Amino acid sequence: MKNVTKVLLITVFSSILLLAGCNDYLNINDDPNNPTSAPALGLLTNATFETSQNTYRIGSTTSYYVQYLASPNTGSALDTQEPLSFGNDWFNLYDVLTDLSDLELLAEEQGATQLLGIAKILKAYNLALLVDSWGDVPYSDAFFVQTLNPSYNDQSELYGTIFTLLEDGIQQLQQQNSTINAGNEDFIYGGDSSKWIQLGYMLQARYLNHLSKQSSYEPAAVLSAIENGFASNEDDAQVTYYDSQVNPWASVAIANAGLILGGWISEQTVEHLDGTTYGVEDPRISFLISPNEDGNFVGVENGAGRGNAPESGAFSVLSTDNYYAARTAPLVIASYAEQKFIEAEAALSTNPAQPARAYQAYLDGIEAHMDKLGVDTVEKDAYLNDPAVAVGSAALTIDDIMREKYVALFLHPETWVDARRYNYSYANMTIPANLNQDLGGEFIRRLGYPDSETQRNGQNVPDVNLTDRLFWDQ
Amino acid sequence: MVTDSETGEVLIGVNILVLNEGMGVATDENGEYEISNIPTGDYQVEARYIGYISQIEDVTIGDGEEAVLNFELVISTSQLDELVVTSFGLEQEKKALGYSVQEIDSENLTVGNQANVVNALSGKVSGVQITNTGGAPGRSSRIIIRGVNSLDPSADNQPLFVVDGVPIDNSTIESGGTPRGMSNRAADLNPNDIESVNVLKGAAATALYGVRASNGAIIITTKSGQSGETQINLNSTVGFDRVNKFPEFQEVYGQGFGFVSAPGNSFWPNWGGKYSETPGTEYNDIWRDATETGVSFDNSINVSGGNEVATYYASVSNLDQQGVLPFGDWGRTSVRLSGDIAPKENFKVRSSINYVNSGGMRVLGDRFMESMMYWSPNADVTNFEKPDGTMRGYYNDGGSGGNPIYQAKYWTYEDNVNRIIGNVTFDYSPVDFLNIVYTLGTDFYSDQRTEIIPGPRGIENENVVSSTGTIEETRINSRDINSTLNITLQTDLSEKINTRLRVGNDIFDRDFNNVVSTGNDFVTPLFYHLSNVRNISLNQNIRQRRLVGVYGDLMVNYDDYLFVNVTGRNDWSSTLPEDNRSFFYPSVSVGFSFSDIVDLPDYFTFGKLRASLSQVGKDAPVYATSNTYNTPSVFPLDGQVGFTRSNIRGSADLKPELTTALEFGTDLRFFENRLGVDFTWYKSNSKDQIFDVPISNATGYSRIITNAGEIENQGFELQMTGRPMQTQDFVWDVTLNYSRNKSTVVEVAEGIDQILVGSSFGYAGSSASIQLLEGEAYGNIYGRSYERYYPAGEAPEDPTFLDEDAPLLIGEDGFPVINTDQLVLGNTQPDWIGSINNSFSYKNLNLSFLVDVIWGQDVYSQYDNFFTAFGITESTLNREDFRVFDGFTADGQRNTQEVWLGQGIGPDGVDYGAGFHRNRERAATENFVLDASYIKLRNIRLGYNLPQDFISNFGFRNINLSATATNIILYTPFDGFDPESRAGGASSNANGFTALDYPGVASFFFSVNLSL
Repeated sequence: MKNVTKVLLITVFSSILLLAGCNDYLNINDDPNNPTSAPALGLLTNATFETSQNTYRIGSTTSYYVQYLASPNTGSALDTQEPLSFGNDWFNLYDVLTDLSDLELLAEEQGATQLLGIAKILKAYNLALLVDSWGDVPYSDAFFVQTLNPSYNDQSELYGTIFTLLEDGIQQLQQQNSTINAGNEDFIYGGDSSKWIQLGYMLQARYLNHLSKQSSYEPAAVLSAIENGFASNEDDAQVTYYDSQVNPWASVAIANAGLILGGWISEQTVEHLDGTTYGVEDPRISFLISPNEDGNFVGVENGAGRGNAPESGAFSVLSTDNYYAARTAPLVIASYAEQKFIEAEAALSTNPAQPARAYQAYLDGIEAHMDKLGVDTVEKDAYLNDPAVAVGSAALTIDDIMREKYVALFLHPETWVDARRYNYSYANMTIPANLNQDLGGEFIRRLGYPDSETQRNGQNVPDVNLTDRLFWDQ
Repeated sequence: MVTDSETGEVLIGVNILVLNEGMGVATDENGEYEISNIPTGDYQVEARYIGYISQIEDVTIGDGEEAVLNFELVISTSQLDELVVTSFGLEQEKKALGYSVQEIDSENLTVGNQANVVNALSGKVSGVQITNTGGAPGRSSRIIIRGVNSLDPSADNQPLFVVDGVPIDNSTIESGGTPRGMSNRAADLNPNDIESVNVLKGAAATALYGVRASNGAIIITTKSGQSGETQINLNSTVGFDRVNKFPEFQEVYGQGFGFVSAPGNSFWPNWGGKYSETPGTEYNDIWRDATETGVSFDNSINVSGGNEVATYYASVSNLDQQGVLPFGDWGRTSVRLSGDIAPKENFKVRSSINYVNSGGMRVLGDRFMESMMYWSPNADVTNFEKPDGTMRGYYNDGGSGGNPIYQAKYWTYEDNVNRIIGNVTFDYSPVDFLNIVYTLGTDFYSDQRTEIIPGPRGIENENVVSSTGTIEETRINSRDINSTLNITLQTDLSEKINTRLRVGNDIFDRDFNNVVSTGNDFVTPLFYHLSNVRNISLNQNIRQRRLVGVYGDLMVNYDDYLFVNVTGRNDWSSTLPEDNRSFFYPSVSVGFSFSDIVDLPDYFTFGKLRASLSQVGKDAPVYATSNTYNTPSVFPLDGQVGFTRSNIRGSADLKPELTTALEFGTDLRFFENRLGVDFTWYKSNSKDQIFDVPISNATGYSRIITNAGEIENQGFELQMTGRPMQTQDFVWDVTLNYSRNKSTVVEVAEGIDQILVGSSFGYAGSSASIQLLEGEAYGNIYGRSYERYYPAGEAPEDPTFLDEDAPLLIGEDGFPVINTDQLVLGNTQPDWIGSINNSFSYKNLNLSFLVDVIWGQDVYSQYDNFFTAFGITESTLNREDFRVFDGFTADGQRNTQEVWLGQGIGPDGVDYGAGFHRNRERAATENFVLDASYIKLRNIRLGYNLPQDFISNFGFRNINLSATATNIILYTPFDGFDPESRAGGASSNANGFTALDYPGVASFFFSVNLSL
C-alpha cells in the first residue's frame, strides 16, 4: 500500500508540475503567417496599386455598356445588360477603402501629413467609383466593424463626402514636414506632393462636372478647380505596369490571343474611329485597337456576337501592340486630356458661355491625347484641321466634346458617367441586340447590388432596378 | 461429441479439424464424430460451427490409443458479455455502458470491397450518414454522426478516428481553386488490417476523448496475432467501376443556335437544327463515350502468429484503382507490423507501425463535366488530340472548344503521400487492482502535389488549354504526437458493489506546414518545371495546435446489473485566449439491466435501459484570436511590398463551444438472442459556437470570428438484429437500421440573421446558396423562383419559404415571372436514413446484400441548370411546342396566352429571343432544387468457401471465392447522375450541391481469399 501511495503521489506532483509548464507550452496561438501591424508605406503601396486595378475592374464592365468592347458570343450577359453580381468589384473597392481608412489613422498618429493627404484623395476616387456605379452605398458606419449590418448612405451626401475628402487631402498635402515621405512606394506619383495636389483639384473638377444635369451645377467652380489642376500630360495620374506584372488589359489581350476570348472591339468604336460615323479617319485608331487578319478594322455589334466567324482573325481586338493593352502600358486614373474636355464642357455651360475657351480646350484635349499616344505631328495636324473636327468656336457643341472625349477616355470607367449624363446620345449608338427585356428598351443606368450584400446585409440593401437613375443622372 | 453449452443439445454437422494435418470430419445426427488413423503425437483440434464460437482443444494421441474429445460450443451471437472498445482502446462490457455504441466486425466491414474505410461503414451503423461524394478513385468520403453540430461553415463536423487507442489524422486538404475531391486521410488505412470498428456516437461516448471527439469517434482496432499456429492470409480482388446512372440526353437537336445548324462552327452544342435535317451530321453519345470502365486491383497478404509471450501481425497490401473518367487513378501501398510482448505476467508492451504510400492522378471532375456541357454531340469527343499533340476542339475546325479528355490527360494534378503511423504502449499492473497504461503515438505524413496546366506550344491556330500555362508545387508536412497516460484502480467496496476509477492525462501536439509555389507562363513549352516560368509566387501556411487534457472516469457496478458511470474532463487548448483556455465538462450515464432482477417470460432473454447526460467542449480554429495584415501575392513588385488588412476579423474574447447531450436508450434481446432491438433517443445542443460569419464587405472585413449561436440535433436510432432462420445447414441473419435526425439552428448571432454555408453558380442569377437561418432547419437551400399569384390582400408578408403549390403568376409576355427574392426551396438534410442487411449461409455458400436508403433530401443540381441552358437533356425537347402556362395574370384572370417555347421568331411571328429555356427556365433556381432520395443496393455479395476436406489436402485452412456488386441504384426520383454525389469533398459542409462534379459509380468485384 505504501508503494502505491508513493506512486500516486509522484504522479500527482508531476502532473501539477506539468500543468504549471502548461501555459508556456500552449502559448503558440500568434499567427505565424501574418503580422499584426502594417507599415504606413506598405499600406500606401498596396492602395496605389489596387486603385489602378479597381479602375480596370470597373472599366472592364463599363466598356461593354458604352460600347468600347463587345462580346464575341451572342447574347452575352454583359452586352445585354443583364443583372450581374459584381461581387469581386465591390469587394475590392471596399478592401482598398478599408486599407486607406487604416492608413488615414496611422498617418494621423504618426504626423505623416503627406500620406494622410494621399490617402484622402485616393479614398475620394475609390468612393466615387462606388457611388457612380451603385448610388447609395455604405460609408459612414463602414470599415471598422461598427456594425455587422452597415447602413446605406444617400448618394448625394456621399458626393459631399467626396468633396470634403479632396479638400482635406489637398490641405494635408500642402503641409510641410510630413514625418514620412513616400518615394517609389507610391506607384502613381512616386511621392511627388505637388502632383497629388494637382490631382486633387482635377478630381474636384471632374466630380463637380458630374452634376451637370442638376440645378446645383456650377461650371464656374469647375473652371476654378481646373486652374490648379494638371498642366500637361506629365501630370497624368496613372500606374505603369511591369513585365513581371503586366497591365490588366494586356492580360486580357494575351488571353484572347490564346483563345480565351476577351477584349473584342465594338462596332460602335470602330465606326467612330474609321470615318464611318463622323466622316474623318482618326489616326489614333491603330494605337487603340488592332486590325483583323485582313488588315481591316471590323467591330462586333454589341449583343449580336460574332455570328459564324471563327475565334480569331475576323474582328478587331485589343492586342499587346496597342497603347492601353501593352504589357507595360499605363493604367490611367485621370489625365490632362480628360481635364481639357471637362474644361470645354464647363466653359460652354457658364452663363454667359465662353465658346472660345471651350473650343481651345477641346482642341488642346485632342492634341494632348494624341501626344500621349505618340501620334506623329503630320497626322495629328491633319486631323485637327479636318473640318469635321475643327468646327470653330461658334459651332462647338457638347456633341463634339463628347465625341472626342469618348476616344480620349478609351476603356476608362469615366465614360459610363459621361454616357449617362449625355443620355447615350453618341451618334449611331443603339441599344444592343438581345437586350435584357426587363430594361424595356432603355440603356442601363446603374449596377445591381452584389449577392454578397443581398445575402449578408439584406435588410439594408435598397431595392433597385437597373434603369433607376443615380441622383446626378436625373 | 459436440453439444451446445447452454442447452446441452447435440450439434449436428459441426466441422472438426485436426489443425495442420489436413484431417477433418463433420459430426453426425447424434453430434458425434470419429477420426481414425492419426499418428502418435500432440495435436490441436478445432470445432467450428456456424453461429457458434470456434473452439480449439489440445489432445495427445498415444500409441494405439483412442482419445475422446468433447466440445461444448457457445453461441456466437451471445452478446451478453460482448466487449466493445470505447475511449483509448479500453474495452468495456457493452452491458456496462449507459450510452449507445455500435460495432462492425472485420467481415462485415470488408464485404463491399471498399477501398476507403469510411465508405465501408455506409449503411451499417444507424444514426451515421456517409456520403460518398463521387466515384473518383481516392475520393474523400464524408461521415456525419447524429447531424452537424457546428454552425461554422468551415468547421470539421466529422468524428475523430482512433486506431489502437491513438487518434489519427482524417483531414481532407482540398486542392486550391475548384476542389478535386482529394482523399480524407483515413483512406490510407487498409480495411483488410482492421479487426473491428466501434462507432461512439454521442457526447457521452466521447467525453473521454475530449475536444477532438465532439462529433463522435470511430474506434478502430487492428488485427493482431493470436498465440497458436501461424496464420497466413492472401487476398486478391479485381474490380470494375462503371458510371451507375446517366441523365436522359436528347438526341434530336445538334450544334448551332436558334434552330440554325452550324455543325463544326458554333459555340452552342445543342440549340441548332435537327440532326435528321442537317446532312452530314449525327448524334454521338458523348457522355458514355467519354467515360470508361475503371479497373482496380487489390492484393494483400498478412502473416500473424505467436505464442503465450509474444504475438505478431504483419501485412503488405497494394491497391491500384483507375477511374471512370479517363487518365485518373489512385493507389495505396500499405505495410504494417505490430507486435505484443508480455515479458512478465503483469507487464505488456504493444507496438505497431504502419507505412502507407498513397496518391494518384486526380482528374478535375468539375472541369471535365463542364467541358462535356459545351461539347457538341456533333463531334466525336474521343478524338481529342491532333497529330501535333494539341487539343482538338469541337468548332472552328477543332480550333476552339475545350476537350475534356485532352484536359484530363494533360492538365494533371498528382498527389503522393508518404505516411507513418506508429505507436507503442506500456501496460503495467504492479498490483492486481492497479493498472497503468501509457501510450505514445505519432502520425506523420508528407503530401507532395504537382499541378501542371500546359501552356501554348506556339503552333498556329492552337486550341490552348491555358494562355500561359501553370505549374504548382505543393508540399504539405503534418506531424501529430499523441501521449496518453491511464491509471485504473479497481476495488470491491462490498460484495455487490464494485468500483473502477480511471484517471488520465492526454497530450496532443500537431505541427502542420504547407508551402505552395506557383509558377506562371512557361518559357519553353512542354518543359514543366519551376525554373522555366516567367512569374513565380510563393505561399506558406504554418499551423500549430496543442491540447492538454486531464480526466477521470468512475464506474460503480452494483451487483452486475446496475452501472453508474461518472466522468469529468478538463482541457487546455492553445487555440483559445489565455484567459479562456481551460474548460471543464462532465458526464454521467446509467445502465440498468432490468432482466437480471425482474422475472421476464422465457422469450425475453435480456433487457437493459440506458440513460446519459453529458457535455463535450470544442475549441477554436487556430489563430482565430489574431487580427493581422497580410501581403497580397502580387508583391514584391518592383522592389516594393504592399500590405492589406486581413479579411477575417479575429476575436480576443473567444470561449470554447459546449455541446450538451441527453440520451435514453434500451437494448432488448429475445428468443435466446435470435432477435435484438436497440433503440436510442437523443437530443444534443451545441452553444457558443465559434464560427467565422461572412459579413458585408463594407464592414472592412469579409468574415468575422465570434462565439454565438446554438444548433440543436434531435433524433432517434433504431437497430434490430435477428436470425429468423437457423438450421443445420442454413442460417439467415438480418440487421435493420433506421434513424431520423433533425438539425435546427436555434440561434445565430446578434446582428446576423443568416449564415452562408456555401453557394453554387446558376445562370441568369439563379445561383443557389445554403443558408442557416435562425429558427429554421439546418441546410436550407435558397434561390430564385417563379413568382406566385395571390389574390389581392392575400400575399404573404415576408415569406421565407416558397409556396410551391400556389399558382404561378404569368407575365404580360405569357411566360412565368422570375421572383428574385431568395426563398427556401428545399433542405439538404434527409428525413430519415435506413438500411437492411440480409445474410444467408447455406453450407459453404454465403449470400448477403445491404439495401441503403436516404429519404427526403434535396440537392441543387447545377447539372440540370446547365443542361437546360444548353438544351442537352430530354426536358428541352419541347422547344418547338406551344404552351399556355398554367397560372394567373396580374389582374386575377386565368392565363390563356399561348406562347412558343423555341428560339428566334416563332411560327406566330413573335420574336422569342433566346427562347423559354434560356430566358426563364434556367433563371429560376426552383427548377433545379430536386429530390435526391435514393434506395441503393449498397452491396451484394455471393461467396463460396471451398469444402474443407478438399482444401485441407493442399494445406489450406480456408479458400473463399466471392463476387460482389456495389452502389447500384434501385430507385431514385433524381434524374441526373448518382444522387449521392456531392461537390466539394468530405470537408465541405455545403453538402447540397452537385456542381458539375465526378459522377457516381457502381463497382463489380471478384475476390479470392486464401488462408493458410
